[in-house]
Amino acid sequence: MHQLRNLLSLLLLAAFPFLSFGQKCDATLCGTVLDADTKEPIAFAEVFIQETAKGVTTDDAGKFHFHNLCEGNYTVESRHIGCPHVAKEIVIQGNVEVDFRLRHGLDLDEIVVKAQSLSPVSTQSEQQLIGLKLDALKGQTLGDALANLQGVSTLNTGSSISKPVIRGLHSNRVLLLTDGVRQEGQQWGLDHGPEIDPYLAGEMTVVMGANSVRYGADALGGVILIKPKPLRDMVGIGGEVNLAGFSNGQTGVISAAIDGKLKGNLPLSGRLQGTFKRGGNTQTPDYFLENTGVKEQNFSGTVGLKKGAFDSEIFYSLFQTDLGIFEGAHIGNTTDLQTAIGRGRPIDDGKFTYEIGRPMQRVAHHLLKAKTAWSMPDFGKLSLQYARQFNRRQEFDAHKSFGTLPEGLENPEIEFEITTHTLDMTLEHKPIQHFSGSFGAQLMQQKNTTDRGGLIPNYDTQTFGVFWIERWRKYPFPLELEAGLRYDIRQMNIKNQGNEIIDKQLSFNNLSGTFGAIYKLPKYLNIKLHFGTAWRAPSVSELYSDGVHHGSASYELGNVNLISERAFSTNLAFDLTIPNQHSETGFRASLALYQNEVNDFIYLQPQAQPVLTIRGAFPAFEYQQTDAQLRGLDWTANWQFSPQWELESGASILRAIDKKTEEFLIFMPADNFSHSLTWFPAFLKNQAAKTTNLKMTMRNVLQQTHLPEGQDFAAAPNGYTLFDVAFSTSFNINNQPLNIGLAVQNLFNTAYRSYLNRLRYFSDEMGRNISVRLKYSF
Amino acid sequence: MKNSKYLFLAILASSLFFTACDDDDNVQMNEEELITTVELTFTENGNVTTFAFRDTDGDGGNPPVIDPIQLTSGTAYSIAVRFLDESNSSDIEDITVEVQEESDEHLVCFSTTGNLEDVTINDTDSAGNPLGLIADLTAGQAGNGTLTVVLKHQPDKALTNPCSTGETDVEVTFEVEIQ
Repeated sequence: MHQLRNLLSLLLLAAFPFLSFGQKCDATLCGTVLDADTKEPIAFAEVFIQETAKGVTTDDAGKFHFHNLCEGNYTVESRHIGCPHVAKEIVIQGNVEVDFRLRHGLDLDEIVVKAQSLSPVSTQSEQQLIGLKLDALKGQTLGDALANLQGVSTLNTGSSISKPVIRGLHSNRVLLLTDGVRQEGQQWGLDHGPEIDPYLAGEMTVVMGANSVRYGADALGGVILIKPKPLRDMVGIGGEVNLAGFSNGQTGVISAAIDGKLKGNLPLSGRLQGTFKRGGNTQTPDYFLENTGVKEQNFSGTVGLKKGAFDSEIFYSLFQTDLGIFEGAHIGNTTDLQTAIGRGRPIDDGKFTYEIGRPMQRVAHHLLKAKTAWSMPDFGKLSLQYARQFNRRQEFDAHKSFGTLPEGLENPEIEFEITTHTLDMTLEHKPIQHFSGSFGAQLMQQKNTTDRGGLIPNYDTQTFGVFWIERWRKYPFPLELEAGLRYDIRQMNIKNQGNEIIDKQLSFNNLSGTFGAIYKLPKYLNIKLHFGTAWRAPSVSELYSDGVHHGSASYELGNVNLISERAFSTNLAFDLTIPNQHSETGFRASLALYQNEVNDFIYLQPQAQPVLTIRGAFPAFEYQQTDAQLRGLDWTANWQFSPQWELESGASILRAIDKKTEEFLIFMPADNFSHSLTWFPAFLKNQAAKTTNLKMTMRNVLQQTHLPEGQDFAAAPNGYTLFDVAFSTSFNINNQPLNIGLAVQNLFNTAYRSYLNRLRYFSDEMGRNISVRLKYSF
Repeated sequence: MKNSKYLFLAILASSLFFTACDDDDNVQMNEEELITTVELTFTENGNVTTFAFRDTDGDGGNPPVIDPIQLTSGTAYSIAVRFLDESNSSDIEDITVEVQEESDEHLVCFSTTGNLEDVTINDTDSAGNPLGLIADLTAGQAGNGTLTVVLKHQPDKALTNPCSTGETDVEVTFEVEIQ
C-alpha cells in the first residue's frame, strides 16, 4: 500500500511543471441567453467553454459569467432542454460579452447524438438520452430506457430485470457510473439488474467501445454515465412531481424532487428526491406471468455548496427493490427444463396480483458520496471524491430450503454483500498552448461476503489506477486529437467459499489506452476515429463458481487459471448534419462502424460429460478463454421533410465470432431496425407547439441466426415487428408547465419472444402496455 | 421564512445520515440442509435389503456412489423411501420427516425400464392424494432394468400426470439386476 501512496505523490509532483503558464488570465466572459422566438431570457440554460471544460448555468435573467479566463480562442456553447445547442467561436482579449439565442425546436427532443451536447465532443461514439426524450422513458427500468439507443440492447430475466448490453457486451464488461461513482454491485450475474433509480438521471449517456482510461479497467464494451440534474443555482425552492401508470402489471410510479437554495452568506443548495414503484404480475397476450411483481423504493438527498473557488457536494442515495421471478421458470433439473420448454407456455393462465412470493430477489444499494472541486486560476481544477457503497443482494429460491422454518421471506438461500470505498482525485489542468487534459488517480477497497449459499467465495479487492489524458485542438484547424493512458493494479484476496478455506492472493495489472481524432469537414460532416484498449481481470465468479446455476439448469465450473481479457476496439463514425428550410438540423445521419477484438475472452464452454447430482444430471459448462471478435454498425438518421413531419430510422447489426473455433458467439443481440414518424401540429402556438407531438414507431428485430451449433436448450425465437404510439404535450397550470405523455407499447398485442430474455424458453414477452405520464414542475 | 430555511437544512442533514450507516451485519453462514442420500428399503416376506444413492459432499466434487439394486425374479416388494442429509457424518438429518410434514406439497414419482413392472404408490398425503414414501414393485423375469425415483415439490396433484409439474428436488436412477 505504501508503494501506491508514493506513486501517487510522485505523479502529483511530476504534474507540476505543466501547471505554470505565461498567459494573461484575468478576462471575463459574460452574456445573456435568450429565447430566439420570444426574446425572453432563459433561466437554467447551460453555457459551456469547450477548451476549459467549464460550464455555468444562467440565472433568472438569463445571464452568465466566466471569470479568470486566459486570452485565446474558445468555443462557447449554450444549451437548454428542448433547444438545439448553439456554439460560437470567441476570441478573448480582455472582457467579452456575448449573447446566445436559442430556439426551442421540436426536433431535438429525442436522442441527441453527443456531437450536439455540451461537454467536449467525444472521439468515441456516444449517445445520449436527455430532456423530453428521457422523460418519455421514465417509469421503465434503466436497461429498457437505454435500449432505445442504437447499439444498446438488454439482457432480460422476465420483464422486471434488464441489464444493458452495449454492442454485444454486458455485465462485468460494461461500467456504470452514477455522477462519477463507479457502481459496485454484483454485476457478474446475468439476472442482476443495475441498482439505480432511473428518476435520478437528468441525462444518460452511453459511450460505446473500450473506454477504460478515464473510468477504470473493465470497460471493454462501453460505459454508461448517469448524471443527475445540476443543483439549483437560484435562491428559492422548486421541484417536480412525476406520476406514471402502466396498464400491464398495473404498475404505478410516483417520483418527486424538491430543490432549494438558501439566501445569504451560506449559499447552500440541496435536493431531496424519492421514487416509489409498485407493479403486479405482467401479462402476455395469452396469459399472466405469475409472480412477476416489482416493488421499488428509492430515496436520495444532496447538499451542495458553491463558494468562491470551491464547489462541494454531499450525496446519499438508497435503492431498494423486491423483484418477483416468474414462477413458470421453476427449474429443479434438466428434466424440468425440458418439460417446461416442451410445454412452451406456463401451465395455467395465471391471474393478476401485486403479491410477490418465492422465487424472488431483494436488493438494497446505498451510496454515500462527498466531493469537492477547487478551481485554481493558475493551475486548473482539482477534484476529490470519496464514495462508500454498500450492496446487499438476497435471492429466495422457489423452494425454501429444508430445515428452515417457518417458510417466509426472512431466510434467503443466497445473500451477497459488498462494501466498497473509492477515492478519486482528478486534476484538469488549464489549457497549455493547444492542449487541455486531465490526470488523476483512483483507489478502491472492497469487501465481498457471501453470507448464504457459498456460490462465490468471500474476498477482498484493492484496486489502484492512474491516468493521464490530453486533447489537442488548434482553432480553426479542423482536426482534434485526444490520447490517454492508464495503469491499473488489482489485488484479490480470496478467503473462503462456504466452509472451504481457499486463502489465495491474486494480482492483476495492466495498461489501458485511448487515441481518438475528430476531423470536421466544412459545414456538414464530422469524422471520428477512435482506438481504445482496455483489460479486465477475471471476476471471482468466473474463477470460483461451482454449482448448479439457478434457472438455466446447468452446472457452472469456475477456472482458477483464467488470465485477464484484453480488448482492442476501433470505431469509425460519420456524423452528417444538413440544414433545410424546416430546421437547422433538417437532415441528420450518423453511421458508426466498429470492431472489438477481445483476446482471452472468458466464456462458458459446454463440457462433454454432464455432472451427476442428486437432482439428476446437469449439462456442465466450464469458464474458458478464447479470442473473440465483435464487428458491427450502428446507424441513425432523422429527416424533417415538412414543417409537420419528421422521419427517423435506426439500425444495429452485429456479428460476433470465436476466432479459434470460427463459430459465432452465443447470446448476442439479433440485428434490429426501427423506424418512426413524428407529427408536429404546426398550427399550435407557443409552449404547446414546442412539446406537442405524436410519434409512431415500428421496431423490427430479426431472428438470431448467427449461432453456434448445439449450445442452446432451444432454437432462437422468431423475429418480430412491434408497433408503438406515443403522444406528448404540455400546458401551464399557474404558470408552471405540466407535461403529459400517453403511450401504447406493442399496440397490436403481438406475442413474441426476445432472444436475449433468459425466460424465453418458458413464456412470451409482455403484451400491450398503455401508459400515462404526468410531470409537473414548480 | 427564516424558520423554513432551517427546517429545509435540518431535513437535508438528517436525511443524509439516518440511513447512511447500514453496515455489514455479519449474518452467520447459514448451514442449509440438503438432500445427499436417497435410501430405498426393499421388503419381501420379512427379508430387508437397502440400496442407496449417496453424494455426501453435495453437487460436484466427488461423484455420487450408487448401489446397484439386486432383486429376485417374480417377487413382489414393498419399498420405503428415505431422504437423508449426510453431509455432516456426525449429525445425520432425516429429511423424510419434513417431506411427511408437508406431504400435500410433495410427491415421490417412480419410473422403471426393463423387466420391472410399474410401481404402485401405497400411501397418501394429508389431503388423501398419493405421496409415494411407501410403494409396491414387482420384479419381472431375470434381466436388467432401471428404477428412477423423483421427489417433486409443489406438483399439481389434481392432474392426471402430476409428475410432469412442480419443481424437482431429487432425481436419481438406480441400475436394477433381476436374478
